[in-house]
Amino acid sequence: MDTFSCPIAITGASAITVAGSGLEPVLTALTSGRSCLHPVPANLFDGADGLLWGRVDQFKASDFMPPLKARKLDRGSQFAVAAAGMALADAGIAKGAIAGERIGIALGCGFGGIANSAEFLTGYFQQGVAGLSPLLFPNTVANAPASNTSIEYGIKGPNITFVQRFCSAESAILAACRFIEEGRADIMLAGGVDELTPLMMKAFAALGQLHSHAEGFGEGSGILVLERGDHAAARGAAVNAYIKRISTIGLLLPGSEQKGIDRLLPESRSFKQVMVSGAEASVQPLLASVRATHTRYPGRLIGRSLAMGGVALGTLASLLDSGEDGLQLSASPEGPCFAISLNGGSPA
Amino acid sequence: MTVPRIVITGFGIFSGAAQSIPAFRDAILNGKSGVGLVDLFDVTDFPARIGVQVTGYDPADYFSRRQVLRLSRTDQFALLAAKEALSMSGLSGSYDPYDIGVCVGGGAAGMYQAEKWLAADLQHQAARPDLLRGVLPDKTGTELARAYRLAGYQGSITTACSSSATAIGWGADLIRTGRQKAMLCGGADSLALLTFAGFNALKVVDPEPCAPFSLGRQGITLGEGAAFVVLEDENAARKRGAGILGYLLGYALAGEAYHMTAPEPSGEPASQVMNAALAAAGVEQDQVGWVNAHGTGTPLNDVVESNAMKHVFGERVTQIPLISTKPVTGHCLGAAGSVEAVATLLALNAKTIPRTLHFRGRDPECDLDYCHDSSRPTDCKIAMSNSFAFGGNITALVLGAADLPEEGC
Repeated sequence: MDTFSCPIAITGASAITVAGSGLEPVLTALTSGRSCLHPVPANLFDGADGLLWGRVDQFKASDFMPPLKARKLDRGSQFAVAAAGMALADAGIAKGAIAGERIGIALGCGFGGIANSAEFLTGYFQQGVAGLSPLLFPNTVANAPASNTSIEYGIKGPNITFVQRFCSAESAILAACRFIEEGRADIMLAGGVDELTPLMMKAFAALGQLHSHAEGFGEGSGILVLERGDHAAARGAAVNAYIKRISTIGLLLPGSEQKGIDRLLPESRSFKQVMVSGAEASVQPLLASVRATHTRYPGRLIGRSLAMGGVALGTLASLLDSGEDGLQLSASPEGPCFAISLNGGSPA
Repeated sequence: MTVPRIVITGFGIFSGAAQSIPAFRDAILNGKSGVGLVDLFDVTDFPARIGVQVTGYDPADYFSRRQVLRLSRTDQFALLAAKEALSMSGLSGSYDPYDIGVCVGGGAAGMYQAEKWLAADLQHQAARPDLLRGVLPDKTGTELARAYRLAGYQGSITTACSSSATAIGWGADLIRTGRQKAMLCGGADSLALLTFAGFNALKVVDPEPCAPFSLGRQGITLGEGAAFVVLEDENAARKRGAGILGYLLGYALAGEAYHMTAPEPSGEPASQVMNAALAAAGVEQDQVGWVNAHGTGTPLNDVVESNAMKHVFGERVTQIPLISTKPVTGHCLGAAGSVEAVATLLALNAKTIPRTLHFRGRDPECDLDYCHDSSRPTDCKIAMSNSFAFGGNITALVLGAADLPEEGC
């Protein structure tokens, strides 16, 4: 059902966001309420003046990998490789310490690959066949971030990428938990990655989304290290939190909305911390059915994206003290909806 | 506790090779290739100008004008294939809508439309913004959920050419765990300039119809289409009187962690995935009748896949045909895994191992049985289907015939 047959522990997490590298800058933004969004360059396109975005301008891939390697990766892959490395370090897992076949990766990917696709096609539209760059094409696929990360760290277990609107990362986290439960992997890297380009902003503007779903859009990556509770205990790893339950529905059927909400949310609906990810307006009907001491909206401060669920869940885990209950809610205007219940962990 | 088996109670296809299951059965069993000249966009500058394009297709025959504007070519194919699958399953009204989910394997998705927007934008011309709506593959699943009132799980897997095989495996898992009672799973993809130009730029497109495992093969022939299956728990399906069309016995997936485009040459990682799929299915190697290869026809893929077969089947490898249906269907990228799963199910139920078309001569590095000469009869009730992808993403499915006995695995 919606729970797992074994405790799934979050033993590491990290993020690349406009707030900075790691989860600490996100936590600081959340506790201070300080927005990290900054102005979209006014000359980017007509109507850009006055808009804010969460583009991670300060990110330097060469801080995380050799420049030659960085040049071969698309921006999303750079984010994912950097965030995964920090998450593994946070979990105390050295490169090569775990057999590659026992570690997997599940990422939600938002607009990954789109920038390379646009650049590749632009070469063709402007110069014909002579303008085609074979180096760009391999990283036009949405699984490039997960696969490049797997290549970087020798991750040979389950490898999967989801693109599912504002719940892309949550979709990946569900699969990762299942793969651990089934024994397909001992450790899963799970989360999301997204990138934001000027062309995308132009497209959002064309679609009239800059004042709705795409308002304050951001980019980056948030990756968690997941493992069975007993696996974490055996290697003496600190547990940030346990994933108790993940439920999802595809859409709230007109006329049967409450039935959908009841299927999505756990029976006990009182939480110390509730994290809102995805499209806020779509989460509101779900929020109305839960009681929270603190409700957090990281998207307001670091930018919304299709795959920020990993950042949000890692942050939620960090906010929970031992035994405290937390909930992450995520939803998209056209579905799906996710509810992930956490219970605060304890140091090793 | 016995783990319930996952049955297939409906399948559907709308592709360049065939636009219905009866036509696809004929194409697969009788070796009718859909390869022809591509005219969806201008291909005159490319060395390879062929593909398995959906031809004779006017969306207005199937959709309202408003729908045609909203739906990408990929979405349209998906809706048509899914309609056939759902209709065949007789699923309607059997379960609560929240108990039926959808999982789609995607690829280029609505890129065919989006690239028209980009071309216009580069020339500072106005283009319909609607052309961009399907650029991400998740829209296909949303359209399916909306059209067929599937309010359960909604997911899109994007692991390039293994996407839809993984979507089927993952969908089965959602039923096994009790999260869903039925799943519509498969994949959809349409030809696009991006992929056509991209594979040509990599010089892995054969100017002649693809010839998997043959001497002198030069690469793939691209295809397009959609294929879907309806998955259910066997007990629940039988209880509602559904017809059983086959079994999804197990699957496995992994990343090779080797290279973004080149497969690991020994075939060892691929063989590990195949063995893991068999283990997940509870199937022994000697129960497998044949393997539906990823079988793209690229010089590298076909040797690696042959090597993987040797690791899995050992001395018996020459008795297990490794066949490719891509000469019939073209390489449908995000839809390839589901198209080939349906092909395998149809072949299992027809007790026929399909032929690998377009034989050009024996390649000494491909020294297995590929059924190049003809299709052949079989009594085997279990087959595998492999899918390999950019990034080293590999998925293997283990499929069973409709008349698979309970003790068969």
